[in-house]
Amino acid sequence: MNIPAWILDIFAAVMLLVAAVSAGQLVVARAWTRAGARDADIALSHLLMGIAMAGTLVASLSTLPNAAWEVIFAVMTAWFFWYLCRETRGQGVGALVSGHHAPHLLHSAAMLYMFAALAGPAAGGGSGMVGLATGSSGGMQTLHAPTLALVFTLLLIAYSVRDLDRKACADGYFHVVGRHFTPAGPALATAAAGVTSQGGPAGLASGGDSAVATMVHPEAAEVSSGDLLAGPVNASPPERLLLSPAVVKGCRVAMGVTMAFMLLIMV
Amino acid sequence: MSDTAVGRSRAAARDRLDAAGATPAGPDVRRALQLGLAAIWLLDGVLQYQSVMFTKAFGQMLAATSPSNPGIVSSPINWNATLIEHHMVLLNAIFATVQLLLGLGIAYRPTVRLALAASIVWALGVWWFGEGLGGVLSGAADPVNGAPGAVIIYALLAVLLWPSDRPSGASAPFVAARAVGAQVARALWLVLWGSLAYFGLTPANRAPQALHDMIAGMASGEPGWLAALDKHSAALVAHQGLAASIVLAVALAIVAVGVYLPAPVARATLVLAIVLAAVIWVVGEAFGTILTGGGTDPNSGPLLALLALTYWPPPRAGRSGS
Repeated sequence: MNIPAWILDIFAAVMLLVAAVSAGQLVVARAWTRAGARDADIALSHLLMGIAMAGTLVASLSTLPNAAWEVIFAVMTAWFFWYLCRETRGQGVGALVSGHHAPHLLHSAAMLYMFAALAGPAAGGGSGMVGLATGSSGGMQTLHAPTLALVFTLLLIAYSVRDLDRKACADGYFHVVGRHFTPAGPALATAAAGVTSQGGPAGLASGGDSAVATMVHPEAAEVSSGDLLAGPVNASPPERLLLSPAVVKGCRVAMGVTMAFMLLIMV
Repeated sequence: MSDTAVGRSRAAARDRLDAAGATPAGPDVRRALQLGLAAIWLLDGVLQYQSVMFTKAFGQMLAATSPSNPGIVSSPINWNATLIEHHMVLLNAIFATVQLLLGLGIAYRPTVRLALAASIVWALGVWWFGEGLGGVLSGAADPVNGAPGAVIIYALLAVLLWPSDRPSGASAPFVAARAVGAQVARALWLVLWGSLAYFGLTPANRAPQALHDMIAGMASGEPGWLAALDKHSAALVAHQGLAASIVLAVALAIVAVGVYLPAPVARATLVLAIVLAAVIWVVGEAFGTILTGGGTDPNSGPLLALLALTYWPPPRAGRSGS
């Protein structure tokens, strides 16, 4: 493998960051979402993908054997496929491409392919993964059926580009009906000025919907939809940031690009 | 948030949309095409991170574009190739990152202008230093294998998809005309496809075995199905170099003049252009040799198809051929 280790380290670090953000989203959303943690499956999938990809990129970060990851991503693929089928019942065949779970199905399927098609030093070992940067064996991991790798790469890139172009408000997770989002700029500026001391998960839980209704002008989210949006108001800035659609979008684009990168360098 | 603040935010959002060339209501074809360009740049950037690009082979690949070019063209290419061989890790990492950022920048609305402008500069640099001007001056240009240099088509697309409209932009007969005007856009199309037709008839490309050898040579290292496709395609044109070149040149010439014809005929020639681009990409370019692990870019096929879409007359355009 001639790719410098520091490049793989950077990609691995980004994936660990995505995993950490996803873990944070799971924790934070649990406090906020009263009607069940919708989209928790997506955050969980990002958490696992981040860990798996970091371990593939850098040997010292590997956690589970390939076979375990194959099972995990097979289950995840089936899960998102099932959800997407449900979406198609309501939204038609178009949901296969633009449905809420479509990109996550693609990510899961790409990960499943990646682990199932691995050849080279690590394949069949079963005891763990060899990172791409490992040069000790003098070999590198490659993928069987490289045409499929190209197809996945093209789809991942297409979704990444689409994600970047989409309105940020379309990408938020943990949405609860009636809860409004507020632009990050003003929200964070206000928070920095120390005005948001009344907020927080507890405040929201006790405030209920009446509190939500007075939090922010409803049009604000639409108006600034192309920009960075913060998460639910009446929460601390870090919590808002974790759940903001822009962060969600950033994680998804980073994951898509890194996955495409990994698939191509293993062709 | 006050209503005034909301109004300001709305205006700012509208400005950003305008900057991206988008109309708030309804799908924007130009934006969709910009995203296509962004995707290709992104793929290009990811390909540049491949293992082989961090070896001396990359520098040698660049140096190979130098021979037969005039001295004024080849000297900088050789200098650049030597520089890259000496600092290959750092420079290739920079190249890959720049291309990745160009793709992301075009896809992200607030940075689309900056990224498109940067992509033009970058593409022109790569066309010279990395592709030896696509072999245009050396006689090596072959329309079936990437002439006149895939990267120059990136620059052309960036110009044609620039997110601003001439005064008559709203009534432009196709997307490519919105930024530069219909006459200039058609002239650019004519020059590009006309030059492809010309290159198809150069002595090197019309030799009896030229096309056969080129296509057969693409099979090496490809997956079985693609290698078999290349070998069968090569067998079809064995010893038929001149006839194949003439057929190809005629088809390319028809495409070249097609944008000057009435809309229904223009659409037919654009379909022909897309079909040619697909055949070139699959048979002649083997998907830019991406599947061998050695392709630096997807080559010209997808770019030619994307370019054809920018000239697609919208329904009820009703333009005349004049």
